[in-house]
Amino acid sequence: MNKYGLFLGCNMPAIRPDVERAMRLAIPALGIELVDLEGSACCPAFGTFPSADEIASLAVSGWNLSIAEKEGVNSMIQCGSCYSVLRMAREKLVKDEEKRERVNDLLKKAGKYFEGKTCPRHVIDILFNDIGTEKISQSIKKNLKGFNAVVQYPCHSRFPSDVLGFDSPGRPRMLQKLVEALGATVQSYSRELQCCGGAGGFARQAYQDALKFAKKKFDAMVRETQVDFIVVNCITCLMHMEKVQKEFSKEDCEFSIPVFDYAQILALCIGFDPKEVASISIIPRDKVIEKIIGAK
Amino acid sequence: MNDLAKANHNLWKEIMEEDCGDIRHCFNCGTCVSGCPAAEADNPLMIRRLVRMVLLGLDEKLLEDGTPWMCVTCTACEEMCPMGVKPFEVGLAIRRWQTRKDETYLPLATTEIFETGHTQPVEKIGELRKSLGLPEIPPTIAKFSELLKIFQAMLKETEVVKNNDYMFKEGNKK
Repeated sequence: MNKYGLFLGCNMPAIRPDVERAMRLAIPALGIELVDLEGSACCPAFGTFPSADEIASLAVSGWNLSIAEKEGVNSMIQCGSCYSVLRMAREKLVKDEEKRERVNDLLKKAGKYFEGKTCPRHVIDILFNDIGTEKISQSIKKNLKGFNAVVQYPCHSRFPSDVLGFDSPGRPRMLQKLVEALGATVQSYSRELQCCGGAGGFARQAYQDALKFAKKKFDAMVRETQVDFIVVNCITCLMHMEKVQKEFSKEDCEFSIPVFDYAQILALCIGFDPKEVASISIIPRDKVIEKIIGAK
Repeated sequence: MNDLAKANHNLWKEIMEEDCGDIRHCFNCGTCVSGCPAAEADNPLMIRRLVRMVLLGLDEKLLEDGTPWMCVTCTACEEMCPMGVKPFEVGLAIRRWQTRKDETYLPLATTEIFETGHTQPVEKIGELRKSLGLPEIPPTIAKFSELLKIFQAMLKETEVVKNNDYMFKEGNKK
């Protein structure tokens, strides 16, 4: 299938629309057609309807899943929690006939229907398994040679692996290979697989503790690598891994490691305008961007 | 001190759902806690402790325990549980039980989704979106007000909205 429905969620179109722009430019440049999932809503995030009423939650997910299904496309998702919510909801709706019927009773009145004919997919999965690193390497005009990157795997794309996994759950490598396909060296470090800590209630309810948790990760990163920038592929990782660095810097330890979504550095390497695809950040990214643009 | 004589022995029936696995199989090994980011908090989320509270029927204690809401939703616990319990689903089921028992647990973001379809104001940064070459309003439910009405009508049929209807208002933000 060379056509996907772009599921936007909430944070990307509202807070980091440059990532949306990067996806809308870079993915089609690799030969994939993106269609809009018109009328889609919040996935809904785990801290919302899934924490209050399961059938209501499945109805909202069903609403979203039915839009892609009607278009006859799998959806492409960047946000880790959108991906996890929609995959787990789909699993429940496909396997549990009673829940499916209850949800379809609600959806029918809204003119929608869920069958489970299509499936949400994470953008790492599509980039690695459908497009492939070779095609990506051939499609870029600039490369990241000379850069040391570290990668952040979205936990929501790893667990529970029997429901939504596509990479090795214990030793994921796909994002690393995708970044290497752009020419960068990817350095591993001891806390590479540690969650950013930004999703759900932890950072909201115990902010200082969440900062301490993230600090362990960043300390390991700077001690063990020569990191020039971090590549993420989840909107929460992107926002949180910038925000915590700003917080650390208030306490006498300067952290200024640029963070990019994969689609953003991909778009830069293909040659798209950084003003469109990488213009919003807390941690300055200008030096890295200038160097990419200047690369031959 | 918890008084087991006052315990609600049917608590597990009130809370547990099929997707939670069989919590009686939990042998309290702590694997779910060892991989949990929110277990690093000063007042940690300890899912195995919550499982025991459910099994022992400590409903008063559980109702006032806010730790289930600290979950980062990574589901590493579910990946690692050696006994096939679904600790992540248990946490969500406890949140739902708390919300049913005490409406102050109801996440406000549910009312935002009801009002606008989103948890973020996707329709309010039109200028910025336009400057990036994007449509001012994304082609989501934010763009189609008639769809939002249908979406709200669907949600009005659900228990959480029926039981807390004073919190779910149409047209507030539009």
